[in-house]
Amino acid sequence: MPFLRLAFKNILRHRIRSFLTLVGIATSVAVLFSIISFNRGFEKGLTKELERTGIHFMVVPSGCPHEVASLVLHGAVIPKFLDVTAMEKIREIKEIELISPILVFQLPNPEKRRVDLIYGMEMSHITKLKPLWTVNGEIPATDDSVIIGSEIAGHDNIKVGDTIYYSKEKKSFKVAGILKKTGSQDDAFIYMPIKAAQEVLKKTDGVTAIGVKVANPEAINAVTEDLSMKIPGIQIVTMGQVMSSLSSLASSAKVLSLSIAAIAILISAVGVMNSILMAIFERTQEIGMMRSIGASRFDIFRIVIKETTLLTASGGVVGIILSTIGSGIIEGFVRKFMPYVPSGKMIDFEPWLAGLCIAFSLFIGILSGIYPAWKAAKINPIEAIKG
Amino acid sequence: MIELTDIEKIYVRGSEKVHALRGINLRISKGEFASIVGPSGSGKTTMLHILGCLDKPTKGIMKIDDIEVENMLESDLVKIRRQKIGFVFQQFYLIPGLSVFENVTLPLLFGRRKRDESEIMSLLELVGLKNRAHHNPNQLSGGEMQRVAIARALVNDPEIILADEPTGNLDTENSEKIFELLKSLHFRRITLIMVTHNPDLAARADRIIRLKDGTIQ
Repeated sequence: MPFLRLAFKNILRHRIRSFLTLVGIATSVAVLFSIISFNRGFEKGLTKELERTGIHFMVVPSGCPHEVASLVLHGAVIPKFLDVTAMEKIREIKEIELISPILVFQLPNPEKRRVDLIYGMEMSHITKLKPLWTVNGEIPATDDSVIIGSEIAGHDNIKVGDTIYYSKEKKSFKVAGILKKTGSQDDAFIYMPIKAAQEVLKKTDGVTAIGVKVANPEAINAVTEDLSMKIPGIQIVTMGQVMSSLSSLASSAKVLSLSIAAIAILISAVGVMNSILMAIFERTQEIGMMRSIGASRFDIFRIVIKETTLLTASGGVVGIILSTIGSGIIEGFVRKFMPYVPSGKMIDFEPWLAGLCIAFSLFIGILSGIYPAWKAAKINPIEAIKG
Repeated sequence: MIELTDIEKIYVRGSEKVHALRGINLRISKGEFASIVGPSGSGKTTMLHILGCLDKPTKGIMKIDDIEVENMLESDLVKIRRQKIGFVFQQFYLIPGLSVFENVTLPLLFGRRKRDESEIMSLLELVGLKNRAHHNPNQLSGGEMQRVAIARALVNDPEIILADEPTGNLDTENSEKIFELLKSLHFRRITLIMVTHNPDLAARADRIIRLKDGTIQ
């Protein structure tokens, strides 16, 4: 019979107490594992999303770079419009391969008693601007049809082929396609051909931003410099800037979430210590007996350390399993905290990370076991025989 | 084989000094069966602690097999306990969750020793619990639990068995059986020292050591 079995049996002696302690450890390890997985998925998803975007930079009215960042990726309502001449001036530069105007605005929908978010775009550029999208139905070929986000479709129970009507503007649009759920802000928009959007807003040539692809990527710097000289009141945001701006935005959320995990782990480690310490006090006489029948101080120390590590390591394994099973729920939850989350699945099961988390919980087990083990090792063998 | 010379033990309890043993001189030879009796506070428990190498005397010399143990370090005393001494306690102290068989082998774990399953089974046969080897202690009666504890005390082949009120928690019938079992260990040349409150049982040992106020009467 090895020491480990003895430790295991000791834990089973207080089933409920051990179970509750294990739940604490499992939860905190699950939180840690999910957060790290999520953060890694976030970086990867962001890089992927930006790499796949077929544009090199965005021309926007000068303003807050964070606003611009969220506009670039998922549309945000900026109450400013680019000068109408901007498009023309950009067109004059010959190194440019693609110019894609974007118009984002709010449109009251009195029938539904809400305000719709309209994202006007060049429908022929859709695969370049939104490479990760899956659209059920068709991409609008005419100016009187739209794509709607899954959130709106789900909320109003709209199907492909239905019509959306705006009474004030006296405009109706056929729903050509429904965007499959992305899990991002994209789900809440109505995507309209740019011409129709400009008409609805009564701003011919009005655009919120212009996406630009340069024929030769090495010329990006030259082109952006050239543009900023020529057009006043604009700001040029490259994809690299968007990336770093989003990363810095997300990093504060990361720090917050990791500190929550750290605190959860600290609390559960204290829980383990408390639970085992109580068990030690209850077993004082029994430990005295073991000391008198030949257990050395170190033997007792080992048994207790094994008890805490067994608890935390199994808690770690349970936590990893829980967070893997519940990754969808956790993801939805974390998405609410993060200022911007790329579309697609964020939490990916990475075996090495799971291993690392389990190793970490082992380490926590050793750490939280030291004090109770030291206490137990100090128990005098005469405790077994008290007159 | 066990030799106590001028053993004294003084405890400090708060501001009070308790003189638990006052000049004990005692020789117990190999294979002897001695009982220790005396009223509470007479020093029986302290004597057992010292004989069991669980505690050190304040003064005096104690030899086991001509080895002086009174000044040994705790780490060496552990070895003496492992090799030479077996304990039987009033409260049995079996570990719940471990089978009877595993409880008996517990000292082997601490002594880093291995014994064949058949040897353990013959020990269980000796104490009359061969068919209970894979039961849990909570399925046993008090008498049976004490039998397991005796088998556990024997597993390291000790020269000395120290029994602290081994029948204190048992009824008359079971007390008798446990006493007979302990007494039979004699034939294995094991020195048996038993602390007891039961005058009838004490009288049936080879020798009675009567303690009063820390001295032998």
